[in-house]
Order: sequence, then C-alpha cells, then structure tokens
Amino acid sequence: MNFDATTIIYILEIVVGGLLVGIGVHFVPVGGAPAAMAQATGIGTGTVQLAAGSGLTGLLSAGLMMSVTDNLWPIIATGAVGAMIMIDATMLTGSWIYAYAVGAPFASAKVNYDPITGFSQPPYVAPGTVGQGIPTICYVSGTIGAAMGGVGGALIYYPLVMINNNPSLSAVFAIGIFLVNAVLASWNIQGTIEGFHDPKFKKWPAAFKACLVSTFILALVAVIITGGA
Amino acid sequence: MDALSMGLVAAMGALATVAGASEDIDSDIGSQSNPNSQVQLAAQVGNPHRIYNKAIAGEPPSNALWCTTAAIVAYMLIEAFQMPALFSIALGASVAALFDGVMSMSAYFGRNASQKRFNQWVYLDIVRYTTPSIMAHVWITSFCIVTITYIQVYVLTPHHPFPIPVIALIWGLTVGAIGSSVGDIHYGGEREFQWRLFGQGLSTMLSGQIVRKAEAGLRNSIDNAWFCAKFGGPATGMGFGLTVFLDNWRTTVFDPVSQALLAIGTGVFFVIVMNLYNFYLERSARRKYGPYPGYKGDIAA
Repeated sequence: MNFDATTIIYILEIVVGGLLVGIGVHFVPVGGAPAAMAQATGIGTGTVQLAAGSGLTGLLSAGLMMSVTDNLWPIIATGAVGAMIMIDATMLTGSWIYAYAVGAPFASAKVNYDPITGFSQPPYVAPGTVGQGIPTICYVSGTIGAAMGGVGGALIYYPLVMINNNPSLSAVFAIGIFLVNAVLASWNIQGTIEGFHDPKFKKWPAAFKACLVSTFILALVAVIITGGA
Repeated sequence: MDALSMGLVAAMGALATVAGASEDIDSDIGSQSNPNSQVQLAAQVGNPHRIYNKAIAGEPPSNALWCTTAAIVAYMLIEAFQMPALFSIALGASVAALFDGVMSMSAYFGRNASQKRFNQWVYLDIVRYTTPSIMAHVWITSFCIVTITYIQVYVLTPHHPFPIPVIALIWGLTVGAIGSSVGDIHYGGEREFQWRLFGQGLSTMLSGQIVRKAEAGLRNSIDNAWFCAKFGGPATGMGFGLTVFLDNWRTTVFDPVSQALLAIGTGVFFVIVMNLYNFYLERSARRKYGPYPGYKGDIAA
C-alpha cells in the first residue's frame, strides 16, 4: 500500500473516531451493580458493556449504510441514530422497571436541581443510596454519549473499508479500537458516572490524552495490517 | 419497501423480543451479572442460600460468546456443507447451550465451594435441575439471534455486508447489555429484596440480606425465573425488540440510498419520543412515590 496524503487523512479519521468514543463514554450514565439494586443513579450495568452495546449497534447500521453508499455523512449520521435508538430503548425499558416494579422516584445525588427540568433531587434520594433511576438529565446525557459512540464507531469503520474494501475485516478492527477506547475512558471515570453534570466528567481531558495516544498507535497498526491484507 | 421486507423486519423484531426475554430469564436463573454481587455476599454475611450462582462473565461478553459460537457452527454448516439453514442454526444453538452448561456448572461448583467457610453448601439437586433450564434459555437466545443475523445477511435487502458471526457477536453484546441494564433491576432491586420499604431506593445497609424463603419452602432460582418472567424478562425483550425493529424499520421503509435523510430523520424522531416518554415516567414516579418522608434538608420537594 502507498502511504500518501489520503492514508494520513484516514488515520486522522480513525483517531477522531477513537476520541469521540472515549469522550462519549463519559456521557453515558452508568451506575454499575448498585444501580441494578436501585442504590445508585443511572443504568445498572458496566460502562464498557453499555457503550459497546450501543456503539456497535451504531456500527451495524453504519455498515449497512456503507454497503449502499460511499458518502461519509449519511454513514456517520445513521451510526449515531442506531446507537441512540439502542441506548434510549434500554434506558426507557429500565425506567419502566424503576417506576413500576421496584417503585423508586428518579433522583440524582450529584446535583440539587436537574439542570433540564429544574426538579429538586435531594428530597427524593433515600438514605443509604446515591440516587436511583434515570432522571431526564441522565437520559439526555446518555443519548448524547451514544450518538458520539455511534459517530466514533462509524468514523473508525469508514476509512478501514475505504482502504481495503473488506467489511468483515474492518468491522473486527473497528470493534477492537472501539473497545480499547471504551475501557480507557471507563478507567478514567472509575466505573460509574451520572452524565455530563457529574463532577467526574471534568476528568475527561485525561481520557482524551490516553485515547489520543492509544488510538494513534492502533490506527497505524490497523491501516498497515488491513491495507496490506 | 416491499411487503416481504416489512414482514421480515417484523419477524426480526419478534425474534429479538423472544431473545431478550430468554436472555434475561437465563441470567436470573443463574444469578449472573449485577445481582450476583448480592447472592455472593449473602453467604458471607451469614445467609447461606439455595440460589444458583454463576458469574461466567458480564452478561454482554458471555452472550456474545454463546451467540458467536452458535453463529460460527451455523455458518460453517451452511457455507461448507450446504446444510438447511434452520437445521444449522438449531445445531449451532445446541453447541452454544452445551458450552454454557459446562461453564455454568464449573462456575457454580467453584463459587460455592470457595464459600465453604461461610457454611454455604454445594447442592447437587440444584445443579441437576437448574443447569438444564439455563441451557434451554441460552439455546432460545442463540437460536433467535442467529436467525436474525441469517435474515439480515441472506434474505433482507440490502444484504448486510458483515459475516454472520460478526453480527451475532454484536447482537450478543447488545442483548447482554440490555439484559444487564433492564432485567437485572427487576431481579436485583425487586425480587432479591422483597421486604424492603416500597417507593424508595434500596439502602446499602441491606446489602447481602436477600430473601431466602419462597412462596412455599426455600427459594431457589426457578422461583426467581417464575417471578422475573412476569415483568423483567418481557421488558428486556421489549428493549431489544425495539432496538432491532426500529433500527431496521427505518432503513427498510425508506430506501437508504435515495431517502437516506428520511431514514435518519425517522430515527431522530424515535429518539425524541423516547426522551419525552422517560420524562413522563420520571414525573409520574415522583408524583406517585413522593419525597423521602424523613428528609431533613432545606431544598423543597
């Protein structure tokens, strides 16, 4: 393969995609195991797992779109929409269970008032918990995070397919690069976060730097390996 | 858009709903994923129990493993041996279920044997009649997901460019993520702690104090499946079904080439509607359960 200006643009696209995944994970409201017991605000699962679930659903949509067009914009837009649909369907059905089965009012323990709805939060937080359910601010934050993950996944996948015309190989590399960035971001937030209103969100520059370095190396490797295949 | 494609998308949605429900009930029977922390803790805080305890991995990676295993077997039989699709998928799902059975049993034996010092026993009768139920649910999940991928790759137009095992890996991860985010709340928040005060979150003081008595006799994991199949399972199925159906519906109704903008716009419309629905749920839950009665702060409810 030739290492020309187009290849450098492709590498940069992969790097931007990886950074979007890394930052996007910071938006996804995950409470880990305590959230599954209504002891913490957010979605009751792990950061990487949810980010991967939504971002890779976006990758499936983007892959389908890329099989019929080479235009970058519809591909990344459909990737974002696929990821948003997945995470919204998940949070919505999770909210059904919080509201109708467990019976807990949605409340965040990180802010006094929801910045979007203005609802007061501390009176609804039961003692011995750090909030419960998925308030509007977390829901909107999760939707934004999923969109970034979906765009990121599509941006990683697109240049790889342009280089080698092999969707299967590119998809596997895109999944790998996606997971590396999701895990790095997950370490940065120590497993749980409520969304962009959480004080932990301010730590994103650290993840940005780590993802930049790791994705750059991975992008080089991916372009060389898949381009030579 | 043609009638066949719409029918296929509807079938995929239905298969996804079944896959989501069976995935969640599989994890409830085995106490996999998040609520397993409480099952694991129970014996350590003096509550030995007769609940199955398998935590092979997080739900997404383990389901990705079962679905990919089933997909690889099915793909090989279809491509290399020209076997009928239904037979191949069924055989693939059976292999995945066998893998799951081996790992579930080793997880149960390992975890419970390591808790001997807390007086936690290994119950052979539990292993005998719970493991086949877990395997049966994994069979259903793998079968449905590989069938969805088969439809996407071979039947639905435009054909998906990814091979069957890669799509099965992604759908397996997704169904696991949804089962872990949705169904686990019903099992962990509701079923394991049925005597806590209703209408508020669960205090961390109650960690490990899980309910150990059933409607009759001692509670086991089949009782938990019976309970969670009423709401947690179907809700998980609905979550995964909505994901598969809505995502594919918009690219089937609108041509992805000439009507790409409409396909994307429809997706954005679904997203906005779901955001508004969650706002409605938040308001109704706050109104129904009200603020915590003992709250002493100065912020008005």
